Amino acid sequence: MAEFETVHPLGDLDQLLADHAHHGEGAPGVQLSIRTQAACVQLFSRKGRHEDVAKALKLNASPGVASASKSHTALPLSPGQWMVTSNQSADRLAAKLQAKIKDMGYVSQQGDARVCFRIAGPSARDLMARGCRLDLDESRVGTGFCAQTNMAQVGVLLHQISDEPAYDLYVYAGFARSFFHWLSHTAAQFGYRIDKL
Amino acid sequence: MHQIDCPWCGTRDEAEFQYQGDATVQRPKPDADEETFFRYVYARENPKGWHVEWWHHVAGCRQWIKVVRNTLTHEIDSTGGPQSKLTKPDEKGGTKS
Ligand SMILES: [Zn+2]
Repeated sequence: MAEFETVHPLGDLDQLLADHAHHGEGAPGVQLSIRTQAACVQLFSRKGRHEDVAKALKLNASPGVASASKSHTALPLSPGQWMVTSNQSADRLAAKLQAKIKDMGYVSQQGDARVCFRIAGPSARDLMARGCRLDLDESRVGTGFCAQTNMAQVGVLLHQISDEPAYDLYVYAGFARSFFHWLSHTAAQFGYRIDKL
Repeated sequence: MHQIDCPWCGTRDEAEFQYQGDATVQRPKPDADEETFFRYVYARENPKGWHVEWWHHVAGCRQWIKVVRNTLTHEIDSTGGPQSKLTKPDEKGGTKS
């Protein structure tokens, strides 16, 4: 059987960061961090088992609000579907979730399929306003807010991780390079630093 | 630009949705004749006024929703899930547009 070399759209991230590590003088307005192997697992419940799955894993099932435990964070995607993210390995997380929900649903490991872009710093909200159609004003949403939407014509799963504010954006790996270009270009006006997450 | 009320996600920009056509079309019985199936697949009304239609929230929750929209004024009267029985304002006894 032929051997295939796996190619990641941000496979040359080290070189990319060397070329774009920072922009602007003085303290950066935006701190960007990138993780290419985002530890995330998509969780689907079987028909009619939405509430059972939510109960078994103590997940919030209503839209727009993440639920966090010590080991993982669950972002509701649609009725009976969540993206579960974690600091541990995606494989271990997937196995653990499947064991807990038994035949109520199933999991799909998304570690290779998503790239996580973290946006922080004093101008984080202003940067988001350049590309995100959702109202992210602090009077409307805070830590734990999550939503799927489009930014720069790329589908993103948005999660506000702190009131600072800071945001994690999960982007399909295939669009990550295009998204990186938009992000670095748009962040230039605020001054930025980029590193690995 | 429309703002569409997704029953799950809340009010979102039209750019997150894809139009998917007339939501009142019913699939014919399997033994229906060819002409009936032809009309089911290809023939659509092109109304000026209220229209019950499918929109796919492709950049959000990925669910299909029903939207009652006025093709003339772009006003949206109501939205709901696939099971919702939505009525056009001019069928509720209101004024015809
Ligand atoms: Zn939706």
